[in-house]
Amino acid sequence: MTTDAAAFTTSQTRDARVDEVRFINTLASEWSKLTSLRSTYIVLGLGFVLSILATGLGTFAVGETFDGWSEAQQATFEPIAFAMLGNVIALIVATVFGVLAVSSEYSNGMIQLSMIATPRRARVLWAKVLLVFGVTLGFGLATVAGMFLVGQAVLGAAGLPTATLGDPDALRFVVGLGAATPLFPIIGLALGVILRSTAGAITAALGILWLPLVFNNMLPLSVQEHVLSRLPGAAIDSVTISHVVQSTTDSPLMVGIALVVAWLVGFVGIAQVLLQRRDA
Amino acid sequence: MIEVQQLTKRYGDAVAVDDLSFTVQPGRVTGFLGPNGAGKSTTMRMILGLDTPTSGTVKVNGRPYAGSVSPMQEVGALLDPKAFHPGRSAYNHLRWIARAGGLPRTRVDEVLEIVGLSEVARRKAGEFSLGMAQRLGIATALLGDPPILLFDEPVNGLDPEGIHWIRSFLQRLAAEGRTVLLSSHLMSEMEETADHIVVIGRGRLIADASITDFTQRSTSSHVHVVSPRLADLGQLLERAGATVTRGEGGLTVTGMEARWIGRLAAEQDIELHELTPRRASLEAAFMELTENSVEYRASNGPAVAAVAAVAEAAALTGTEIRS
Repeated sequence: MTTDAAAFTTSQTRDARVDEVRFINTLASEWSKLTSLRSTYIVLGLGFVLSILATGLGTFAVGETFDGWSEAQQATFEPIAFAMLGNVIALIVATVFGVLAVSSEYSNGMIQLSMIATPRRARVLWAKVLLVFGVTLGFGLATVAGMFLVGQAVLGAAGLPTATLGDPDALRFVVGLGAATPLFPIIGLALGVILRSTAGAITAALGILWLPLVFNNMLPLSVQEHVLSRLPGAAIDSVTISHVVQSTTDSPLMVGIALVVAWLVGFVGIAQVLLQRRDA
Repeated sequence: MIEVQQLTKRYGDAVAVDDLSFTVQPGRVTGFLGPNGAGKSTTMRMILGLDTPTSGTVKVNGRPYAGSVSPMQEVGALLDPKAFHPGRSAYNHLRWIARAGGLPRTRVDEVLEIVGLSEVARRKAGEFSLGMAQRLGIATALLGDPPILLFDEPVNGLDPEGIHWIRSFLQRLAAEGRTVLLSSHLMSEMEETADHIVVIGRGRLIADASITDFTQRSTSSHVHVVSPRLADLGQLLERAGATVTRGEGGLTVTGMEARWIGRLAAEQDIELHELTPRRASLEAAFMELTENSVEYRASNGPAVAAVAAVAEAAALTGTEIRS
């Protein structure tokens, strides 16, 4: 490790650098961060495989036990929804990915370098939001499509009714569920900035996502309809799957969309204010 | 140039930086000296816009760092050498930072070459020793080829070879006309590397002077004289206003420069065998500073704070002696 005095510190490549750093530079930088970590590929790859595997096993179990179902259950059998059994896994994985996109920088101290390289901190946040959105959208669409195809194939093999993507309801379901995937990763990302902790942000994000589902039926109907229906999970379900799977927490489509937007703006907005005001 | 003006940072009741003002000039290495917890890192973080001052301002090249249109080409910094993702290669670590600053890929190769990490660039940074991590941190600081460079404790944990490398490296950066601010809690480090020092304790300014001034102001700077006619010479110099004590087989003369001693001796035909100016070490000057606190005390604050600052300085000296 010696230093050649001739090739000292001054840059030989002055011409290639930019005079003014712009948002596109921050975006490129954040893209480099994501693509240069093996964990990105492992997390998303495993999420894809495990989600589809879970759907395959779930639909296989449905096929094996269908004959024992009550007539009422058999009559309301919905092949589209059962193909989405693995979506829980896909959502968890995507949410963890969103949280880690920023929380890992807090745990190893790299956030300092990000703030020094890009003192306009909002740019860093928005670059991350855009990339987490894009990556988890692609991940969500691919995973949901995979689950749908595998699920229908397994159900079909068991001689049960199936759906195809040519069915408008099924298409809206698949595209809607896939397109909804980025919601929780972006909330997770915002929570990562707000809490500056991986464990804290993952717990909070998954809590917001699932606690309403767990406690939903234990609470009075009025609470379900007026409180739980406003939460992000219920709001996104109203937009994406309520035409197939109804719930007491569903809202009208436009209300659902407004709620989703409000939650996103709220979380990302708080994250931006804190990121700009707090000492890095 | 870095201009720090009346900078104050409070965390609740605790004051980390207290009405601190100093200027860091280009073309020399400025040492930023103080014990651990004196406020050096906080000050550097405020220079870089990481922490917001409670009051006061910091300017780099005449404006706040955060307002720069191309920040990495203004200032480069090494704060925490371990601030990287352990799973990312050194090359990819520098790559994302370069992209954030709008810098070309070729610059990554250049800085890797400069700090001597080219051969291990594809290895995960998490496998690096502390010395290699320090070099990676320095490469990070150099990416934008900036005229201003900040290094927070860059020699921590380095072996003697690494320390020597960083020293000469920083001096070369300054020789290129850059502004170099180097913090350390080790005075010996400053003596070898810095041209100018800013000393703080408990967030307050204790001294802002060139190394030469700082040590010359010390009474332990003296001239050692050896002559066969010590008695005559001693009387002669005392009559001329110097303070003379006998010892070490010669005279210890303070308050008179060597060339005047030589000229007086020559006029009286007194033979000299040795005439050696001995500058106080920075450490000795520092010890003295803690004794003659009034002289260096920050002028505009309560005496209690200054006394506390001096106590910190004393602790600093103690640290150095133990190590």
